[in-house]
Amino acid sequence: MNDEINIKEMSTEDIYELMKEDLYDGYAEEIVEEVNELLSRGLSPYEILTQGLVAGMDIVGVDFRDGILFVPEVLMAAKAMKAGMQILRPLLVETGAPRIGTMVIGTVKGDIHDIGKNLVAMMMEGAGFEVINLGINNPVENFMAAIEEHDPDILGMSALLTTTMPYMRVVIDTLKEKGIRQDIIVLVGGAPLNDAFAEDIGADAYCRDAAVAVDTAKKFMEIKRDKVNP
Amino acid sequence: MTSEQKPQGSHLVILMPSGRRGQVTHGQSLLEAARQMGVEIESICGGRLTCGKCKVHIEEGNFQKHGIVSEAENLSEPSEEESLLLKRMHSSADRLSCSACVLGDLLVTVPEESLAQKQIVRKSATERIIDVAPAIRQVYIEVDQARLGEHRGDWGRIQSALAEQWELTDLSIDLQALRRLQSALRRGKWDVTVTLWQDKQVIDIQPGYQEGVYGLAVDIGSTTLAGYLCDLRTGQLLATESMMNPQVSYGEDLMSRISYAMSNPDGLEKLNSAIINALNRLAGRAARQAGIHTRQIHEAVIVGNTTMIHIFLNIDPIELGNAPFALANRDGMDLKARDLGLRLHPGANLHVLPSEAGHVGADNVGVLIAEEPYNQDEVILITDIGTNAEIVLGNRDWMYSASSPTGPAFEGGQISSGMRAAPGAIERVRIDPVTKHARFRVIGEESWSDEWRIGPQQPVENQPKQLASGICGSGIIEAVAEMYLRGVIRPDGRINPENIDGNIQWDGKKAAYILAYADQTTTGKPILITQDDVRNIQLAKAALYAGAKLLMKRAGVKSVDRILLAGAFGSYIDPKYAMILGLIPDCDLKNVYAVGNAAGDGARIALLNRKKRTEAQEISHWVHYIETAVDPDFQSEFVGAMHLPHSSDPFPHLRGILEDVPVPVQVVRDRKRRYSRTKDQ
Repeated sequence: MNDEINIKEMSTEDIYELMKEDLYDGYAEEIVEEVNELLSRGLSPYEILTQGLVAGMDIVGVDFRDGILFVPEVLMAAKAMKAGMQILRPLLVETGAPRIGTMVIGTVKGDIHDIGKNLVAMMMEGAGFEVINLGINNPVENFMAAIEEHDPDILGMSALLTTTMPYMRVVIDTLKEKGIRQDIIVLVGGAPLNDAFAEDIGADAYCRDAAVAVDTAKKFMEIKRDKVNP
Repeated sequence: MTSEQKPQGSHLVILMPSGRRGQVTHGQSLLEAARQMGVEIESICGGRLTCGKCKVHIEEGNFQKHGIVSEAENLSEPSEEESLLLKRMHSSADRLSCSACVLGDLLVTVPEESLAQKQIVRKSATERIIDVAPAIRQVYIEVDQARLGEHRGDWGRIQSALAEQWELTDLSIDLQALRRLQSALRRGKWDVTVTLWQDKQVIDIQPGYQEGVYGLAVDIGSTTLAGYLCDLRTGQLLATESMMNPQVSYGEDLMSRISYAMSNPDGLEKLNSAIINALNRLAGRAARQAGIHTRQIHEAVIVGNTTMIHIFLNIDPIELGNAPFALANRDGMDLKARDLGLRLHPGANLHVLPSEAGHVGADNVGVLIAEEPYNQDEVILITDIGTNAEIVLGNRDWMYSASSPTGPAFEGGQISSGMRAAPGAIERVRIDPVTKHARFRVIGEESWSDEWRIGPQQPVENQPKQLASGICGSGIIEAVAEMYLRGVIRPDGRINPENIDGNIQWDGKKAAYILAYADQTTTGKPILITQDDVRNIQLAKAALYAGAKLLMKRAGVKSVDRILLAGAFGSYIDPKYAMILGLIPDCDLKNVYAVGNAAGDGARIALLNRKKRTEAQEISHWVHYIETAVDPDFQSEFVGAMHLPHSSDPFPHLRGILEDVPVPVQVVRDRKRRYSRTKDQ
């Protein structure tokens, strides 16, 4: 049985379907091939992003939330997505495509845990967000500098330790002092956190896992857009 | 029936099934109230509404027998947070005692699973050959009588006698001993027994000839305190005592306790006095068991993780809660036990073994001096698994250590039916390869569950003494490993959707494996291993494996010759299942074994042999600590270790076991591939 398939002979719609499957399986090379093929057909980078990559990562997100996929599988999918994005990113800028949103994310000062936050960053990228990942052990100055530089829609903060999570309040209070708290959506996450803590420190929401983070981010972005264009 | 006096602003609370009753201040939390009434309710998260372990049930109505009218409204309204958590636990009719405040009279049922039972502690001192060369010794001397015209002073006379009769010079004397010196000399008619520490300081002077010097070695664990009382002359172990660390009430894991100290003005003080009081009780019990008085305990050696040591010494542990996790002092210490409030001999010395790094403490140094991997040619891996796992790898030429945040899953935390190793905990699990039914054994009942005869028609003697009420760490490891071996879960950890014949319960799209059926449990509800439970175990085991793997990489070794499992948890897990799960790297199974409470043994060794303290000090500086969390390879090692047993590392020593694992039906995907294609690789 010859299983070799030639995507050049496939309809655009079928390629989108294939992209979803390849993202699900984390096949980066195939994604690159498919993105290039769609570009050669004259499709806009923005359409390929939303109809192909983001739609595919949506499925990954749902299955992650439902316990069907786990961290290794999601990371593979995110890597495949990233390979596709590398081609699309410059083209998106060039064509002035609408931005889905920008997020600055980091683990707070005193905390050196990276992996959960990286997963959120990748899933956010999977949803089409531009993500600036500040890494671990970030004092408030790092967050402020990144906000100034990138003007993000969303600030994400992570902490794995009961002892470091109070630092999130310091960052939020600084946003308030600078009078920019209402300009930015603040999402927080990490094992010891919960909704009550998020509310108490004045964050917009606590996100239990990466899938919830993406859903919450999208929801807040919709509200934000409605405010801008009622 | 209102016989009880009702003070202003307080309410009657009765706790069932114990029947304890008490007056509770208006607005106090039920958890706190129960604690004051002597009923400890389990609380892992310390009131942060994440663990749900403290749930209780409010009985409503007029209970004439108890003389109480109890209403659910007599508790503060549940927060949205609490309701949500209860709903997730399918316990919407219950309340979480940590956040329910008493506003009126209440009859409360505390379910068995919510009781913080005394853990069965299986820490016992193993037999080891120890050279007895203690820091304490007694010498008998005959002292010149004081005479008019001779002005040395009584201490001077004793110094002369010690120099002449024992060649002991350059001595100092503890103030407590000085205060007793003169009466001892006269009562002993100038013959006295002198007790010396390190041949440097006189800590006691007793009239006449006396013998009997004793020492106490203690391992301050986050959950368990283990004490060993020894005769310092013979080296004989006279008593072993253990108890729960009472600090558990202030938070289960180290970070919660540091956080408690940070966020409460008297937090450190409370934590410190809890541990000091407990150690005094521990010493008292051990002394009674040995038939001596606590005043005869002349020295104590302490090991523990760095947070426990900080709190024990009343040093604010705040720096250990944040990177770079700076220790107040890494080196070993000699202090006066009395300065810490320990009621031992008034001049007793307290030796604290050194630490290695911010989160690798004296307990790990204790393990090292007990096992001496630094004197071996073989490459040895030692793991001490708790909420935080310490890992040491090395031999006589090199040695690395690390700490890995495994989280509370191995102690039953973050597991839906998780509990400590207490009666009723499932500790052994086997799954039938054909029917996929589980049989299990619980602590407190010898027979396996498939031999149980349950029901009113069965004779009493056939009924199990103890039904299942949850699953403990060793049980969850066997459960998940067996689930993998029998194809209930796939290597990626997903519960196999093909396997639905009566052993699987669905919650939406999430499957759960039924480990114990409703009639086998104390609660009358089945005990499940949920998909999330499996995920949490995967995360925990991957953290440990990745830590070990990073040390192996750093050392440039591909395999290890020997794996020692230290600590209470290590004593209970079956090495075979630990390896099938991929908790530990591949190794010949006959070289993988438990070494018990090696940290406590190390403390005992240092107590009996002062040279071991010097060795501990040197080793603690020699071992190379690796901060795994910031290692650039940690993420990929961690992710690679999430599969069972591993996504890429081979396990040649499991040959003959893993071959039997059913290959998952490939792969009935939820979205069928429209196209099949050959992969290049």
